[in-house]
Amino acid sequence: MRMPDALWGIRCVWLRYFSVFYKSIGYYLVTTFIEPILYMLSFGLGVGSLIGSFSAGGMHLSYRSFVFSGIIAQTMLFQGFYEGAYGGFIRMYYQKIFHAISVTPITLSEVLWGELLWDASKAALAAEVVALIGVASGDFPLHCLFTLIPLAFLGSLLFSGMGLAAAGFARNIEQLSYPQYLLVFPMFLFCGVFYPIERLPAPLQVLAWVFPLTSVASLARTLTLGFPFQIRTIPIILFWLVLLLFLSRRAMFGRLVK
Amino acid sequence: MLSSFPLSVSHLTKRYADFEAVSDISFEVAGGECFGLLGPNGAGKSTTIQCISGFYPATNGHIFLNGHDVSLEPKLARQSLGVCSQEETLDSDFTVFDQLARHASYFRMGRTASAERARRLLDEFGLADKAKAPVENLSGGLKRRLQVARALIAFPAVLVLDEPTVGLDPDARRMLWEVLGRERERGAAILLCTHYMDEAERLCDRVAILHKGRIIDADSPANLISRHISRETVEEEVRPGVYWKRRANLEDVYLKLTGSRLGVA
Repeated sequence: MRMPDALWGIRCVWLRYFSVFYKSIGYYLVTTFIEPILYMLSFGLGVGSLIGSFSAGGMHLSYRSFVFSGIIAQTMLFQGFYEGAYGGFIRMYYQKIFHAISVTPITLSEVLWGELLWDASKAALAAEVVALIGVASGDFPLHCLFTLIPLAFLGSLLFSGMGLAAAGFARNIEQLSYPQYLLVFPMFLFCGVFYPIERLPAPLQVLAWVFPLTSVASLARTLTLGFPFQIRTIPIILFWLVLLLFLSRRAMFGRLVK
Repeated sequence: MLSSFPLSVSHLTKRYADFEAVSDISFEVAGGECFGLLGPNGAGKSTTIQCISGFYPATNGHIFLNGHDVSLEPKLARQSLGVCSQEETLDSDFTVFDQLARHASYFRMGRTASAERARRLLDEFGLADKAKAPVENLSGGLKRRLQVARALIAFPAVLVLDEPTVGLDPDARRMLWEVLGRERERGAAILLCTHYMDEAERLCDRVAILHKGRIIDADSPANLISRHISRETVEEEVRPGVYWKRRANLEDVYLKLTGSRLGVA
């Protein structure tokens, strides 16, 4: 009896987000998909033409393919984090949506799950669009669109949790800059999106593996380009996923419930 | 079916880290009754409402909404609850009509029933011509009306209104009073927090004066006035040298009990 009730509540919240997305589809198409496409064009075509092909992961491949695959992971990071952090903060603090829904038969716990699952769904969709472009350009095989789905969703959920945790801990919207500059940008630049982390000095490589984007990017390359599967990616992703989901919910409960 | 006391608060205590906001308060509100909760800022009114809506857990005591303990069965309990909080919590991503219809879905109301209910409420609250307007385009007073309307969406057995008439023009205030009259006839138990003493005196069957987290007295407005204000009329200096004689009212009781400003007694 309880379980279906909770699922119904989460579904209601998810549908609320979906209907906002659907109503403003034009706005969301621009804000969700333009950014990764610009990265693909700039790095894939621009930098890619400079580098041509090179060796990575024991394979010889074009830089364009390499970076397109990295942008799949980066899209999960940016879309998940920003929707959770800024979107979450605005909905929690300015719009007070969490509060408005949590005095109906839907509980705050369900509202937060709905928020996380929606943020993750949207980021996963954006990551899949990047993969689709990679398929269309002949860089990835068609079947990777399906095999990517679990990674796209869990990776996006992980970074949405990071964003929502940041929203829960931030006292004001400016404070969201801390995780943005201290966590998101360093990951974006040092976790293997734009170059193989093997090019980094050994200590930095170890550090890069601590952060989840390295594992997400590594798995994305395994699924899209056939890079060797690295077993450590699974425990690293699961560890961060559980930690960030826990932290995001704890921060939000601590923030909202006195 | 509504139970005879749709809202029952028993020995509610709410302690925050550093202070006790509500100390052992109890009251019941019958179906069709309007119960006023009056008190200065910081007296514990909003905390009480947060506890009633199950958003803040009570430190001690129990709250029953239509017979369901809000801490043990929050979903069932809140199925009978409509809340209009003091702060604006409208979902600005929706139009006026969608706002209501969406809120109805949180109560498991079907699509047709939701739409019909939303239309009825927009008519009742004079918002029908704004149905398609985005919420953010509404003036403060219209937003307030919409938020009260939203609280009524699922025919609540318990209606909790925190300062519902703040920012409303006299016309809208009267319209809202009429709506509350109809809600009362429907059998809803209404908990009204307000700083407008004339409003409390007019609408409430009983009022409780909350001061520093405790109910210091509760009775019908007429009884409170006759018990606490010995004279029938009060003389008040409204401007230097200008004195008004008027009938003693609930405000005199309130001021006397929560920190006397007038020298009546």
